[in-house]
Amino acid sequence: MTGAQLLAGAARHLPSARCAAEEGTVTMEVPREDWLAALAFARDTAGCDFFDWLTAVDEQDHGLAVVVHLYSIEDQQHLFVRTLVPPDDPVLPTATPLFRGAAWAERETHEMFGVVFEGHPDLVPLLLPQGFEGHPLRKDFPLAARATQDWPGAREPGEPAASARSRRRLVPPGVPEGWPPA
Amino acid sequence: MNGSDLDAGHLPPRSRGVIALLEENCTVCMLCARECPDWCIYIESHKQTVLAPDAGRPRVRNVLDRFAIDFSLCMYCGICIEVCPYDALFWSPEFGYPETAIAGLTHERDRLRDWMQTVPPPPAHDPGAPPPREAQAASPGAGPAG
Repeated sequence: MTGAQLLAGAARHLPSARCAAEEGTVTMEVPREDWLAALAFARDTAGCDFFDWLTAVDEQDHGLAVVVHLYSIEDQQHLFVRTLVPPDDPVLPTATPLFRGAAWAERETHEMFGVVFEGHPDLVPLLLPQGFEGHPLRKDFPLAARATQDWPGAREPGEPAASARSRRRLVPPGVPEGWPPA
Repeated sequence: MNGSDLDAGHLPPRSRGVIALLEENCTVCMLCARECPDWCIYIESHKQTVLAPDAGRPRVRNVLDRFAIDFSLCMYCGICIEVCPYDALFWSPEFGYPETAIAGLTHERDRLRDWMQTVPPPPAHDPGAPPPREAQAASPGAGPAG
C-alpha cells in the first residue's frame, strides 16, 4: 500500500485514528483501545509486516506515548503507530501475538518506562540488573551521576575552588530549575 | 602502526578519536567545562600576578593547574572544541587508548598535550568553496561577503 492508500484504508478501518503522511512515512495516532486493531490493520491490510522497534516517550502530564515503527518491505512504506497511555494507569495489550519480535521491545519498554503490556508471555527486565528500582527513562527519574558529582563548571577562572562569592549564580546548561527532584 | 585500514592515518578527515589540548592557547576561561553535557572536563587554576617589563602595573593572569578529560564519560560530541574561543582543543583521529582500569581513561594535561602531535592539518577546502570568513575579514573584497 502506498501512503495515500494507507490513509484511505485507515479512514475506513480505523475511524478513531489521526493520520499524517509525509514522503514514504505515515504516522498514525490511535486511542489505547484501538492499539491492537491498528497493529493488525498495519500488518494484514497495509502490508507493513516488518516490525522494526517499539519504545515509549515520557510526555509527563499527558502520559506515556508508546510508539512502534513498522515497515513494508514490498512497498518501502514506513509506518509509525502511536498511542498515549495515562501515567497513573500505563497498561497496554501486548503486541506479541501479532509480532513475536515485539517481546523484547516490550520488556525493555516495561523496565525503562513502566508500561505494563497485558498478556505478555514473560515481562521480566531485559537490560537492568535484578532488583533495580524505578524506570530510568522516565523524566522524573533522578540521574545518580548528577547528584553525586559537583558540576565542574562551577569554578571561576583562576579560582582554586568553587567560591561562594561568585557574582553570578552559575547553573549547568540544559539542567532545568529544581532538578534533580528531591 | 601497520598501515592497515584501521590505522588512524587512513581515517576520513575530521574523524573523532581523541581530544587534544594545546595548553599554550588555554586561558582557563572555563567555557569548555561549563558547556560539556557530560561534565567530564576538570579544570583547576589559580591567579598569578606578573610584572611585564613594558607594563606600568602588575597584571593578574590565570594559570592552569590541571586540565583533564574523562574519556570514560565523554560522548565525543565535540562541543568543547566548538566552544573554545582560543583554539586550545582539537580533534585527533587516534582512537587506540584502551585501559584495563577505568581511571586510566582520565587523561591529564600532559597526555592531552601529547595528543597534539597526532592532530592532522585541516583538510583543504572543496573546489569552488568560498574563502574562510577569517580570510575575508582580513582582506575585504577578496570574496563574496559572508
